[in-house]
Amino acid sequence: MDNLKLTIALIVSVFLQWTLRNIAEPLAYVDLPLIIIVYAALQRDALKAVLFGSIAGLAIDALSGGLLGANGFSKTLIAFIVSELARRVYMDNLLLRIPVIAGASLLDDLVYYGLHRLLGQEPNVPIAATISYTLIGTTIAGTLIYFLLDLSMAQRSRKPRREMFPARRQTRRRNPIRLGK
Amino acid sequence: MVERSQKEVWRLTPWLVILLLLANFVLMAFDAREIGSGRRVIRVWGQTGADFVQSPVTTLTTSLSGYFGSIANLRSAQTENDDLKQKVQELQIEIKGKEELTAENERLKALLDLKDKSKIGVLPARIIGRDPSIWFDSSIINKGSLNGVKLNMPVVTNGGLVGRVTAVGPLTSQIDLITRDKSGVGGVVGEIGNSNALGVVSGTSKRDLVEMRYVSGSVEVKPGQMVYTTGQDGIYPAGLRIGEIVDVITGTATTPHRIFIRPAAGLDSMREVAVLLYEPPVKSEFEQKLPNATKAEKK
Repeated sequence: MDNLKLTIALIVSVFLQWTLRNIAEPLAYVDLPLIIIVYAALQRDALKAVLFGSIAGLAIDALSGGLLGANGFSKTLIAFIVSELARRVYMDNLLLRIPVIAGASLLDDLVYYGLHRLLGQEPNVPIAATISYTLIGTTIAGTLIYFLLDLSMAQRSRKPRREMFPARRQTRRRNPIRLGK
Repeated sequence: MVERSQKEVWRLTPWLVILLLLANFVLMAFDAREIGSGRRVIRVWGQTGADFVQSPVTTLTTSLSGYFGSIANLRSAQTENDDLKQKVQELQIEIKGKEELTAENERLKALLDLKDKSKIGVLPARIIGRDPSIWFDSSIINKGSLNGVKLNMPVVTNGGLVGRVTAVGPLTSQIDLITRDKSGVGGVVGEIGNSNALGVVSGTSKRDLVEMRYVSGSVEVKPGQMVYTTGQDGIYPAGLRIGEIVDVITGTATTPHRIFIRPAAGLDSMREVAVLLYEPPVKSEFEQKLPNATKAEKK
């Protein structure tokens, strides 16, 4: 069921990415498919994440003026790196996911730009500004979307609220029997 | 459905990643090679598929923004109406003067037996999609090969030149704007025939600015002058307005000017464009034999 929900979320994110720039230019700074791909990678399902990365990347490239496969390449790579990271580090709380989506956005942009430079198709936009705006937009939107996705996923919705944030270390209680002595 | 153990998945994933990365890289290299040829099959069919999503969304958002816009505009409608009435009167006087000039022009044309050969078909189109990535500025229009659109046809608005068609599907086409650095438009400052300030207009890192290069430093160029197409680049017809000069870094006798131009077409806000059904004149046999005149055919 969760797989189906994630697949629907990916399809919706690609459709939105295709159309949102028509509505308002700043919305193009939010990389919605990347948010869903990183979320899939954080579920420790590496196969699904890399397939999502490649398919969504190619879908974006098909309508872009950039090279076909550039987004597919960068998003596949990001999905693999994040899933490997999630395998080794516990990242099941919202706060830890914020630096992950920020880092993923930065790396995705750098790989995308680098590939275009490598193949002689350098984009003519201010690089630092574009990367910064994308980083901010994607991180903010990603945090909100992760919160909503966590709520919508069947098992996660039953989790107590405190588990969304890092567990605070609890001090050990002293033995009340001993204390009474 | 086959259930895989976590260990199997971990073992399989790196190989799948390598395969996918390689496939994407091959696609990229292929696309980079074929970028000017129009043989962009995956892109073209991707656009055609996306058209079924993009067209309804664009129609909906355009009508919604139009509805709210019209409500906001009602407030200024009265003053605008008064201004327009005055303008109509002024224009009526102007038209009377122009009618006489047109009649005179017709008489002189008949006298010289000139025929209007420069008529180019115009195909109105609507922009249904913008580039989903922020790195590029291409747009998608709702007219394709079934409507007669062909690769490299110029695209204009009533303001001026927008760009050219770079990929054609049956129902949609992709256009690259003149602000892209890979686009080169042959331009001339001022009137064609009266000016020696010829150069190539291409994109800069700023979205609302294009740069004209290779204009001789000995030619006088000033901000405020208009730049038009020369028709010598083999893509655009002569006389299309490119934009207005906003800044000039003056050259010398040995170094060319660097001229910055603001495009005349409102590239950020355009919704409707027109594709000029223009095909450049076929080069003579002699010109085709010149080295580098055309890309060599693959054997």
